[in-house]
Amino acid sequence: MRAGNPARSAARWIALAAVVALLAALPWCGNAVLVQFGISALLLATLAQGWNIIGGYAGYPSFGNSVFYGLGAYGVAIAMAQYQLPFWVGMLLALGLGVAFAGLLGLAVLRLRGHYFAICTLGLALVMTAIVSNLPLAGGNIGLVLPLLGNAALFYELALGLLVLATLTVFWLARSRFGLGLIAIRENEEGAAVMGVNTTLYKVLAFMLSAAFTALAGGIYAYYITYIDPAGVFDLALNVKMIIMAVFGGPGSVLGPVLGAFILSVISEILATKVTSVASMFFGIVIVVAVVFMPRGISHLVAHVRQAGWRYFVDNVRAHRL
Amino acid sequence: MSDALLEVGRLNAGYGEMAVLRDVSIAIRPAEIVALVGSNGAGKTTLLRALSRLIPSRGELRFAGRSLAGAAADEVFGLGLVQVPEGRQLFDRMSVAENLRMGAYQRRDKAAIEADLERVYALFPAVADRRRQLAGSLSGGEQQMCAMARALMARPRLLMVDEMSLGLAPVIVDALLETMSQIRAQGVTVLLVEQDVHAALSVADRGYVLETGEIVRAGTARELERDPEVQRAYLGAADPVPAMPAGRAHGAP
Repeated sequence: MRAGNPARSAARWIALAAVVALLAALPWCGNAVLVQFGISALLLATLAQGWNIIGGYAGYPSFGNSVFYGLGAYGVAIAMAQYQLPFWVGMLLALGLGVAFAGLLGLAVLRLRGHYFAICTLGLALVMTAIVSNLPLAGGNIGLVLPLLGNAALFYELALGLLVLATLTVFWLARSRFGLGLIAIRENEEGAAVMGVNTTLYKVLAFMLSAAFTALAGGIYAYYITYIDPAGVFDLALNVKMIIMAVFGGPGSVLGPVLGAFILSVISEILATKVTSVASMFFGIVIVVAVVFMPRGISHLVAHVRQAGWRYFVDNVRAHRL
Repeated sequence: MSDALLEVGRLNAGYGEMAVLRDVSIAIRPAEIVALVGSNGAGKTTLLRALSRLIPSRGELRFAGRSLAGAAADEVFGLGLVQVPEGRQLFDRMSVAENLRMGAYQRRDKAAIEADLERVYALFPAVADRRRQLAGSLSGGEQQMCAMARALMARPRLLMVDEMSLGLAPVIVDALLETMSQIRAQGVTVLLVEQDVHAALSVADRGYVLETGEIVRAGTARELERDPEVQRAYLGAADPVPAMPAGRAHGAP
């Protein structure tokens, strides 16, 4: 996408618009199973893209994004099931809950770095499940039942719209002063601080932006699935999935996480129906292979393997000193 | 001292409960090169971090006639108080050119940034030769030059250089000190924070000696070089009274 050639970049934009149009037309092909799969893949891609902002650009490996997802789901569920409010009000509540929590959490835990940050956010996800299980407003550990809409195509288009919005935001981020500040923080936080980057502010803003898309995805999921409980939406396994998809696709790139989410969704869906025994191991294998052979993801691989050939993988293995 | 660019009065700073700096007072006038010398653990880096507002401090802190009390680190940077940190803190996986552009992070004057790039490359030809290379692949001396070039891209009024000589060959240190005089000639005031007292005083106009968090000596570079205490403690001169147990004076080269 960085190509200076205007004709080429115009061609890319047209190709991307065509892909989005094709995706948008998918519900009209009439295959209900495909639409269901599409909703799940689009939401996962949005989650991977959301994680990309804090994990890929700012370099903070968050395990707290499943909390934002759960808060978003509960925002919509509480608004609709407890107060009979319309869906869009629920989405606003989801957004507010996710972003506010990310801001408060970020101020507290974004001073930790690397593994310490990861472990701290990991603990928080567990704590949130326990808290929500004991909230009567959230239906305790029984959960909440939302009104049934039964319009899969609408949820599909909503999920696609959110993914496009998230990706456009990351596209802007990759070219903005803000994004450059985040990359500097990822590459050397001390260096960024002495070069005049307001590191605390930037990290918290990145966390909030990441939370916004994650919470909205959770909100769409809640209304689509019509029933949520704490263990189901505050799910660490989902957080691990977004990380794997983003890392597999290319953390810190615009389209990588989306590509990673689509590819892995398709493979894991095929495995789940054909070879169930391998399916549960699948994501584990992917993360090991990705980290060893292509730590910068599919998007970096595509850009560099043509000139480096097999050396690309050999060099990556060497860099790990395995 | 109202004509001072930087005025520090009775500054106290530390980490948590631990006080490192006690009532430090220094002043730097425009276009001066001032050396801040002292041994390992004296509090030199802590003082620089306090001046950059990367850590909180108590006491008076004025830069270009403006109080820095309550200012954030990025604001202080924007005012032109820029440091070349200890250990260089380059963006290793970015190219040299990208590192330099990070120095101009807060600036929006595109044409002037391009002009400054050329000016900085002229000052550090070795850096210019490697502009497309990753910063992490440079030698120690080149990395130090890259870090100084990056800081200059911010158009500093006061450049604070922390432990420039650390781990570098003497011939490279000499070249960097020579560049320091050129930087001053371009109107940039320099605060040189060094363990290598001899190197620092060789280019400085004035100097301060920091010992366990307190300023114990101040004067012109010549006065400090001739000061018997400074000579004994930092410049490796023979002890006039051989009462010290063997080994104490061997520390200095």
